[in-house]
Amino acid sequence: MMKQIAVMSGKGGAGKTSVTAALAKLLPAVIAVDGDVNASNLPILLKPQQMLRESDFFSMDIAQIDTSQCTACGECEKICAFGAIEKEGDTYNVADDCEGCAACAWVCPQKCIKMVEHSCGKKYLSLTENGYLVHADLNPGADNSGKLIASIREDARKLAKEKNYRLILIDGPPGTSCQAISSLTGVDLVLVVLEESLSGLSDYRRLATLLSHFRLPHLVVLNKVGIDEQVAKNIEDAVAENGGEIAGRIPFDYSIPQALSRCETFLDLPEYRPTIEGVSGQMLGMLG
Amino acid sequence: MIISVVSGKGGAGKTTIATSLANILQADYYDLDVDAPNGEHFLQPRDWTRRQAFVLQPKIDSATCIACGKCAKECRFKALYKIGETVYLNEHLCHSCNLCREVCPTGAISYKEVPIGEVRTGHSSRTGAKVVVGDLIIGSTRGTALIQDITTRLRSDGLTIIDGPPGNSCAAVAAIKPADLVVVVVEPTPFGIHDMLQTLTILRDMGKPLVAVANKALETEELEKVLAEQGIELAATIGLKSEYHKALLRGEVLSQADAGVFQGLQQAVAREVEKR
Repeated sequence: MMKQIAVMSGKGGAGKTSVTAALAKLLPAVIAVDGDVNASNLPILLKPQQMLRESDFFSMDIAQIDTSQCTACGECEKICAFGAIEKEGDTYNVADDCEGCAACAWVCPQKCIKMVEHSCGKKYLSLTENGYLVHADLNPGADNSGKLIASIREDARKLAKEKNYRLILIDGPPGTSCQAISSLTGVDLVLVVLEESLSGLSDYRRLATLLSHFRLPHLVVLNKVGIDEQVAKNIEDAVAENGGEIAGRIPFDYSIPQALSRCETFLDLPEYRPTIEGVSGQMLGMLG
Repeated sequence: MIISVVSGKGGAGKTTIATSLANILQADYYDLDVDAPNGEHFLQPRDWTRRQAFVLQPKIDSATCIACGKCAKECRFKALYKIGETVYLNEHLCHSCNLCREVCPTGAISYKEVPIGEVRTGHSSRTGAKVVVGDLIIGSTRGTALIQDITTRLRSDGLTIIDGPPGNSCAAVAAIKPADLVVVVVEPTPFGIHDMLQTLTILRDMGKPLVAVANKALETEELEKVLAEQGIELAATIGLKSEYHKALLRGEVLSQADAGVFQGLQQAVAREVEKR
């Protein structure tokens, strides 16, 4: 049975990618997915050895106006809910805000608007030390990040079937909205990286609420701990209240950002390797 | 004048810097990181007034609907689907685009307001200035719509600071759009630099002037080199220090805990403000 684990945090910069990269290197055979498609940093730490496939990601078609036929009646501008139709001189143009709904094409009395294919990012499949990495780059500023995440997760599942891999590990995006939801649907377990800070706690509460909507069990790695006892206590209480289980604690330690800046992971720091091994063991135990 | 504080990488310090700038400049503060808003932990606003924010979504009148399935066929987001003789809406997929209402041959589709979150307005007990927080309903996928709902109503008399969402997708674009100046917060690591380059592409495309500030910095040599290639000078650097982290854990606005640390950034922003 194939299992999927998502590493999430709510708050950005909590340490999702650092923990995911260490786990991906430790686990025997894993397909890693970078679900943060507009700030994908997992490849920097996993250092893929060989690019196997690169493809354009097409999601929504976008509108294109044949200005030679356009009578500038303005119906398209009126119907557009995204403010994406702009008047330019005596004709109309489609701006980047187009979400591809095709309402303009439907209402145009001249039938001079057509929907055309539009690439909104690139998908990559590469080979790592002990498995595969699937990641993507959304075109800067583009829509459809949630769909791109869903698409690379589908690629990862197909690959897992084909290669007989049993574990998919997803490095999730920050936040709790569309990209986070797209990274979470259908996973078996969530590993939450929780930064010891007021924002870390606040965002954990939102994330935990989301996880309970989806009825997803979660383990917690506390990160940057040991600075403030009261915040630490509030966090441990919140984890207990939300049914989480603490699987590891990583202190606030300058040697960690220094190692990460050299593109090393926790596994390269002898004092933290056992923590990651412990987290990995608990995760696999919960998956059965 | 509106200043948006953004960063491609999460956790770079947007909120630390946005709340500090709001304090230094006595500016209104808008938290548009709507699915993880944290500015209020530091600015401690009081006397909230609240309003609901909505998007419009189709409502199908079952008496008029003939279940022809045309709306489901034409919807490009697959938000409408027909099972048996009934058409259903998946709210998570709907973009509120108006198309289904147009294509319906019997006029069975109207639009209803669906709540996506709450917008709270108060005054900071720390700075005295206005604080506005966008708070997305947990589980909603319409974060960008909530940001747009707030920015279209935003009127800036003096100075306004927007604390944006992380990343480089449509939500970031929505928080950058109203800005006259953008403060790009960069963690000077391989990760922060990678994500910053995408943010710079967005800002270039949108023609936005910017000030770049390094935060949680151990060293900035590589960042300065990359910025120089883009013709950008690093305006200020804030170090990675446990004292700062401790102050933030106590819920302090960093510029109140240590005024000196923001001198460089304050000067760089002031220069840009003067130009306008």
